[in-house]
Amino acid sequence: MTAETLTVGKPRNPVRASGLRHLITPAAILIALTALYAWVGTLELDSIEQRSLNAAVILAKTVEHLRMTVIATALVVIIAIPLGIVASRAKNRLVTPLILTAGNLGQAVPCIGLLVLATFVLGVGFQTALVGLVAYAVLPVLRNTMVGLQQIDPALIEAARGMGMTKGQILRRVELKLAVPTILAGLRTALVLTVGVATLGAFVAAGGLGELIINGLKLNRLPVTIVGGVLTACIAFFIDWLGGLAENLLKPRGM
Amino acid sequence: MFDRDPEGVRIELRALTKHYPGQPAPAVDNVNLVIPAGELVVFVGPSGCGKTTTMKMINRLVEPTSGEIRIGGQDVLSLHPDELRRHIGYAIQQVGLFPHQTVGQNIALVPKLLGWPADRIAARVEELLALVHLDPAMFRDRYPRQLSGGQQQRVGVARALAADPPVMLMDEPFGATDPITREHLQNEFVKLQKQLRKTIIFVTHDFEEAIKLGDRIAVLKDRSHIAQYDTPANILANPADDYVAGFIGQDATLKRLALLRVADVPQEEARPGRELPRIAADATLREALDLMVAHGTDRCGTPSGVLTYATLCAAVGSSAVAREEVVAGDR
Ligand SMILES: Nc1ncnc2c1ncn2[C@@H]1O[C@H](COP(=O)(O)OP(=O)(O)O)[C@@H](O)[C@H]1O
Ligand SMILES: [Mg+2]
Repeated sequence: MTAETLTVGKPRNPVRASGLRHLITPAAILIALTALYAWVGTLELDSIEQRSLNAAVILAKTVEHLRMTVIATALVVIIAIPLGIVASRAKNRLVTPLILTAGNLGQAVPCIGLLVLATFVLGVGFQTALVGLVAYAVLPVLRNTMVGLQQIDPALIEAARGMGMTKGQILRRVELKLAVPTILAGLRTALVLTVGVATLGAFVAAGGLGELIINGLKLNRLPVTIVGGVLTACIAFFIDWLGGLAENLLKPRGM
Repeated sequence: MFDRDPEGVRIELRALTKHYPGQPAPAVDNVNLVIPAGELVVFVGPSGCGKTTTMKMINRLVEPTSGEIRIGGQDVLSLHPDELRRHIGYAIQQVGLFPHQTVGQNIALVPKLLGWPADRIAARVEELLALVHLDPAMFRDRYPRQLSGGQQQRVGVARALAADPPVMLMDEPFGATDPITREHLQNEFVKLQKQLRKTIIFVTHDFEEAIKLGDRIAVLKDRSHIAQYDTPANILANPADDYVAGFIGQDATLKRLALLRVADVPQEEARPGRELPRIAADATLREALDLMVAHGTDRCGTPSGVLTYATLCAAVGSSAVAREEVVAGDR
C-alpha cells in the first residue's frame, strides 16, 4: 500500500455536529436549483431550447442519469468488494498485484476511450455506458475494501481464532464489520465519480443529463448546457451528502 | 470433547516440536511436559525463547511440526481446530476485545458459538462480570473503548472463562497494565483460580509473577528447552543450574519468604508482649521480616503466639537472612 492509496476516500471524520451542519449541503443545492429555475424563467426560449428545457425531458434525463449511476454502483459493489476481500487475504499475495493492476487500468485509461472500445464490442447503448462506468469506479471500492480489511488490528483476528470462530465467521462478524467505514468511504467516492462520468453516457446514446450538455454544445444553446451541468453537479453533491449520512449511520457503534 | 468436567483436566506434551518454515532452528524443540489437572503452570523465560509458540500449539493456533498433545487423554491433533478452541479459554496481552461489540456481547461470544440458549448466556454474562469484579449493570452495555486498561483485561479474562472451559491458555494477560493494576489483577486471579481449579498455562517473562501465580513453574530457555520444572518453593530453594539461578536473581531467600504465610510456620506459644509489633496470620514471612527489621526486634506477635527470627530462618532453611538482602530486595 502506498500513502497515495490511503488518501483516496479515507473515512471522513464523522463530525458530531449539530443537525444544522448536516443541512448546509441540501440547502445549498436547493438554492442552486431555485436560482437555476428562476434564471431559465427569465429567458426567452426558442423552439430548440424548449424541446430540451421542459419538465418532461429534464425529468426523463435525470431519471436515466440516476438509473445509470445506481446500476453501475451496484455492479461495482458486487465486483469490487469480493475482489477486495480476495486481494486482502495473505495467502493470495500473488494475485493481489494483478487485481490492483486491473483496477488501476480501469481508471487510468481515459473513460471516453474505454467507452469507444466498448462500443466496438457491444454497440451503443445503456450496457456500453455501464461497462465504462463500472471499470472506472471499481478502483476506489476495491482499494478501500483491501485497506479496510488490512488495517484491522491483528490481535483481534488472533483473539477471534483463539476463541474458535471459523474463517467465515471472522470475515463476516469481525473483519467486514470493522471495515465498513472505510468501504463506505470508497463507495461514496465511487458514486460521486460515477455521477460525473455518467454524462459521457450521452456519447454512446445511453441518455442521461450528458445529453443536455452535449446537445446544448452541438446546437450552440448555452442555457441547455448549463442546465445539464448544474443538475449533474447538484446530483453529485446530493449523493455525497447522502453518503456522508450513511457513513455516520452505518458505522459500527462503539468505534 | 474433553470438557464434560469444567474442573481442570491433565495436559501432556510429548516430543513437541515446531520448526517455522525458513528458520534455521526450531522455535520449540522436543518439549516433554505433564501439566496436572487443576494446576496453574507458568511458562517463564526470556523473550523469544518459544513460550508463546509452545502455548499456541496446544490450541493449534500454531500447528506442531511433530510431537503429540493430549488434553484429558484426548489427542488434540485429531480434533477439529475451531471446535477444539471453543473448549479452551484463551487470553492474550493485547486482550483483543472486539471494539464494535459491547462488553456483554464480547463475553457471550464463545457460548453463542457453542449454541447455548439466550437466557443461559445472559445469566452467564452477569455471573462472569461479577466474578471479575465489574458491576454487570454498569459494564455490560459499554463498549471496550469506554473501559480502562485494567477493566479491559478483566473482560478479557471473563471472555476466556465464558463457556467454563477446563483448560485456559493465558499469554501475558496482565502484561500491558501498570504495576499497581497488575498486582491487583494478579491477586484477584489467584483467588479466582483457588475457586475454579482450571488447568491453566500462563505465559510470562516476569519471574515474580510466575512465583506469585504458579502452582508449578517451567523455567524455559532457548527453543523452549525446560531448564527446571517444579514448584516455586523448590525452584527458589534448589535452582537446577546457573541459568535458573540467574533468572531468580539475587534475592531468592526473600522470594521464598514471600511464599510462606505466618500461619504455615510453628510459633512460640506465648502471649506476645505489648512492645512487640503485631502481624496477621495470613501475612507472608517476608512481611514479618520487614516488620522485625523496621522495629529493630527479632520477634513479632501473631494471633496465636510469637514468631521469632530463628523460626523464620528455619522455615527457609537458611541460617540467617542477611540484612543486606532485605535492602537489596527492596531496591
Ligand atoms: N510466525 C512465526 N514465523 C517465524 N518465526 C516465528 C514465528 N513466531 C515466532 N517465531 C520465532 O520463534 C521464536 C520463539 O518465539 P515466541 O514463541 O513468540 O517466543 P516468546 O513468546 O517466548 O517470546 C522467536 O525466535 C521468534 O522469532
Ligand atoms: Mg510471547
